[in-house]
Parts: sequence; C-alpha cells; structure tokens
Amino acid sequence: MSVSGATAEPGPLISAPLISARGLTKQFAGFTAVDGIDFEVARGEAFGFLGPNGAGKSSTMRMVSCVAPLTSGSLQILGMDPVQDGPRIRARLGVVPQQDTLDTELTVRENLYIYGRYFGMSRRVLRPKVDELLDFAQLTERADSKVEPLSGGMKRRLTIARSLINDPDILMLDEPTTGLDPQARHVLWDRLYRLKQDGVTLVLTTHYMDEAEQLCDRLVVMDGGRIVAEGSPLSLIAEHSTREVVELRFAPGSNGAAAARLGAAIAAGERVDELPDRVLLYVSDGEQALSRAHELGLSPVSSLVRRSTLEDVFLRLTGRSLVD
Amino acid sequence: MPAPAVPRPRGALLQLLEYQLLVARAFWRSFIIVGVLSPLLYVLALGIGLGKVVNRHGTDTLGVPYLQFVAPAFLVAAAIQVAANESTFPVMAGFKWMRTFHGMAATSLTPRQICDGQLAWCALRVLSNALLYLLIVVALGGAHRWEFVWTVPAATLTAMAFAAPVTALAAIVESEGNTFNMLFRFVVVPMFLFSGTFYPISTLPRWGQLLAYVTPQWHGTELARGAALGGLSPAAAIGHVAYLLVWLVVGVGLARWRFRVRLTK
Ligand SMILES: Nc1ncnc2c1ncn2[C@@H]1O[C@H](COP(=O)(O)OP(=O)(O)OP(=O)(O)O)[C@@H](O)[C@H]1O
Ligand SMILES: [Mg+2]
Repeated sequence: MSVSGATAEPGPLISAPLISARGLTKQFAGFTAVDGIDFEVARGEAFGFLGPNGAGKSSTMRMVSCVAPLTSGSLQILGMDPVQDGPRIRARLGVVPQQDTLDTELTVRENLYIYGRYFGMSRRVLRPKVDELLDFAQLTERADSKVEPLSGGMKRRLTIARSLINDPDILMLDEPTTGLDPQARHVLWDRLYRLKQDGVTLVLTTHYMDEAEQLCDRLVVMDGGRIVAEGSPLSLIAEHSTREVVELRFAPGSNGAAAARLGAAIAAGERVDELPDRVLLYVSDGEQALSRAHELGLSPVSSLVRRSTLEDVFLRLTGRSLVD
Repeated sequence: MPAPAVPRPRGALLQLLEYQLLVARAFWRSFIIVGVLSPLLYVLALGIGLGKVVNRHGTDTLGVPYLQFVAPAFLVAAAIQVAANESTFPVMAGFKWMRTFHGMAATSLTPRQICDGQLAWCALRVLSNALLYLLIVVALGGAHRWEFVWTVPAATLTAMAFAAPVTALAAIVESEGNTFNMLFRFVVVPMFLFSGTFYPISTLPRWGQLLAYVTPQWHGTELARGAALGGLSPAAAIGHVAYLLVWLVVGVGLARWRFRVRLTK
C-alpha cells in the first residue's frame, strides 16, 4: 500500500466539501479546548488530526459527530447544520469514540443488532448486516459471548464494526487502533483502506505517525487547540523537515557540547536539535552528515540514519514529542 | 444508497424499550423472584403476622382488619422501591460505567428520546411489578372489592412521580460516591416509614403530618387505600392525582434537561 497525496476524483463535478469548519471553537467553563480552527474535508478523503494529549482532537471530533455543540464558529456537515439537523446528520455518520460505549451485559451480536435498531433499521435488514460485520471484526466465533470478558482489542474491533452498521457516509474514528496489537492494527488499516475505496470519507485522530502516514490523504497537526500545520504527510515532511535524520547518542552529559560543535559544521537549511537523550541532525544526506561528524572527531555511542517522519515535523513545530 | 430514515419519536421509544428487554432477558428470573417474594414476605409477616396483634387490640382507628389496611400501601411502597432501584444505578451505568447512553447519543436518537426511553422502561417495570403484587395480595386475601385494581395505576403514577426527579439526579451524579446510599437511607426508607403505610398519619405530630403531605408516597397511599377500602372523596382523589402529576411533569422536565446537559458536553 503506497501513500499517495491525492486520489482520482470520479466525475467532473466539483463537489462541495462534506465537512466544513470555520473558526470552530469549544470552551469548557472558560477553558478553550479548541481555539477557532478552520478545515474542510472532501468526499472520499481520509483526513487526520494529529497531536499530543489535550490538543483538542476529541473535542473537535465530538463537535463534528454532532454530539457536542460548538461554543462558536460555524460547522457544516453533509450540507447540513448540526444545530438544526443533528439527528439527520448522525443518521449518516459512523462514530468510534475514544472510549468504548458498548453494553457489556449484552452479547457481541446483540450490541451490533440494537445499535442498528437505534438508527431505525429493520430486523430483516439487520440480520445479514450483523453477520457481515461480525466477520469484518473477526468476532464470528465470539458472536454469542457477552462483551464483558472480551479483550480490549476485541472490544475495540466491535466498536469499529458497530460504527458501520448504518453504512455511514462519513466514518469518525477517535484513536481507532489504540490498544490493538500490531497484527490487528494492520488488519484494521486494510479494512479502512477498503472502506475508503468504496467512497467512505474517513476522519481520524491518532498518536501514531505510521498510522497517519498510511491512512491519511491529508492531515492537520493540532497543538493547544490550534492547527499548527496542514497538508499531505509527504508535503508536511517536505515543508517542515529535511529528507533524512541522523540520530546520535553520546555519553551522558556530553550531548550539549557535541550539538554545539555540529551546529557550526552543517550546511544552510540543515538543523541540529538537542533532545534529553540524543542529538538529531536534520540533513539532506544522512550518511554524509554522519561521516562529517566523525571527521569532527565526535564519537557517538550509537548512530542511526533514517528518513524524516511526521514525528520530526511535530517536534519541529511544537518542540514536543507526539506520544508522551 | 438512500440515507437511513430518522426514526420518529414513537419508533425511538420502541427501539429503546427493545434494548431494555434485551438487557432484562438476563435478569428476568431475579425480577420475578423479587416481584413474588417481596409481597409474600411483607404481606405474610406484617399484614398477617403483625396484623394478628393489631386486630386483637381493636382496629377502631382503621375500621378494617390490618391486612386490608396495609396491603394497598405495600403495593405502592413496592412500586416506589422498584422505581428507585431502576432510576439510580442503571442510569449511572448508562452515563458512567458502560456509557451506553453516550453510544445512543451518537446515533440518530436525541437525548430527550434517550431520557424518555429510560423513564418508559421504568414505568413498564413498575407496572408489571404492581400487577404481580396485585395477584399475590388477592391470593392472600388482602383485597375485598374489585376497585382494588385501581391500586395498580395509583402505584405506577406515584412511583413515576418519584422516579422522574430521581432519574434527573442520577444524570447529575458524576462520582461513584454515596449519593444513592444517602437517597435510600434518608429519603426512600423514611418516606416508607412515615407516609401512612403502617398507620394513619393522624397519629403523627403536626410537623410529621406536614412532611408526609409533601411526599408523593402519602398521596399515592391515600389513593390506593381509597381504592381498596372506599371512603375517598372524588375531590380528594383529584387533589392527590394532581399533586402526583405535578411531581411527574416537573420530574420529567428535569430529567430531560439533565440528560441533554450530560449528553451534549
Ligand atoms: N467535558 C470536559 N470538561 C472540561 N474540560 C474538558 C472536557 N473535555 C475535554 N476537556 C479539556 O479539553 C482539552 C482537550 O481535550 P481533548 O479530549 O479534546 O484532547 P485530545 O486531543 O483528544 O487528547 P488525547 O490525545 O489525550 O485524547 C483538555 O485539556 C481537556 O482536559
Ligand atoms: Mg482524545
């Protein structure tokens, strides 16, 4: 699966964005969790929110999911206004909240079934749909088990399957894969990719850069309730970081001195960052930079040359790590 | 694909009751056991056992055998007990432990429909429990005229008049502290003891009577006892029903408001 910036848009119509937010703001008792953000999501797009704890990702998701009202700004979803048309919009959304809301006293199958009933779906329509989603979540064997004893990852998969019961136009996923094992995450990415192929618009939040790189056509980086950068994963890296990164670890206490010497020896457009445990060199050619470091007489305890990632973009923009 | 229709209010209520029935499937045995044992124990121990002692000392103040005096009041008290149970911990579970109400709020259901569904389920539980109670009282000889059946709607109305504001309270409670323990200890139990269940409130001091007048339970007990024994004037009956309806209407308003606040943060 390759990361591509843009997907071929079917048909000549320039369609209006499915989600359009202007000056979107959320306050809790005077505290501003989301601080006037603007964004648009087009039909069929996979759009991501990336940011550290408390950045305002979930607050934004809850407003777009039409469960929480906005404090100010404007929001249009599927051409409708959440205040006027909340139920009608929600009927066409699938929502995976950060915290599960499953009924642990019911069985896996019953959870899927009753959720469909809330959308007013008939038993006849639901019967095959539930079987299909059990298969999607790889929970067919546990279909008649109560939810309570399921593992965290199984519950998460059930929540995701449940969000698809009404064949949503837009799927809202708040940290969908947190708590899943690596294999389950890859399976889920594959499923989400297929949903996207089928024309479902995805909006997701994540702390995982690999997830954002894999799934998102476009993403925004949030920090402190604001959007600090926006673009495709590749364009963000191109814009805010260099092609390669060299990670150098020195003996404890000697990072500072090493960083100062390296800083004097790098080319224009390149950068040195000192972190508590290592020194990062943002350069266009990593191997070359590494040999230059050796020429300076520096002898790092360990060294690693890698490509730039969204984590580097994030560090650059906020001075903080994504996962803390 | 055509967009799924948004269920109309009545459809939403039925879907939410269907949900409660799915949940109740796991508990129906305990519902029946509690529903049968509670009247058996109360009516046998107090209505018949204690009644023997009371009757021996003359029942001038009551005018009827003790069993007939307490049976309609017990039916009301049991309804309130069921309503109090149903509108406390399960409501908190929906907001906090399982967060099922938050799940519902992400569908086309509205907070108001979710609240109404909860209250409708509570009413259904109370009603079915009262019907079971009625059967057992009849079997044990506690009912002496057909008008006794009016105790069932009286008990259901009374229980819901109490359950609606309690549901609003349960939608406010944030921590798992002992709000509910306090509610049961300092409201439900004293109300049971001082609302004329066991003796006419005319035996209470004046301030005790005034307190009893405030409680929904006393009004419900008067209605039920009037239905069971006669002697309640239409004007008094209308007054009791009106008072209970005020509690119900205000309580439902409060509950809907708190559901909306809690589910749209
Ligand atoms: N109901 C609430 N009442 C008060 N403050 C809230 C509420 N919900 C969120 N907040 C605050 O708003 C800020 C943003 O929270 P939010 O949950 O949107 O962050 P997030 O980006 O999703 O973080 P995380 O990665 O930890 O999930 C936080 O400071 C949080 O404490
Ligand atoms: Mg969050």
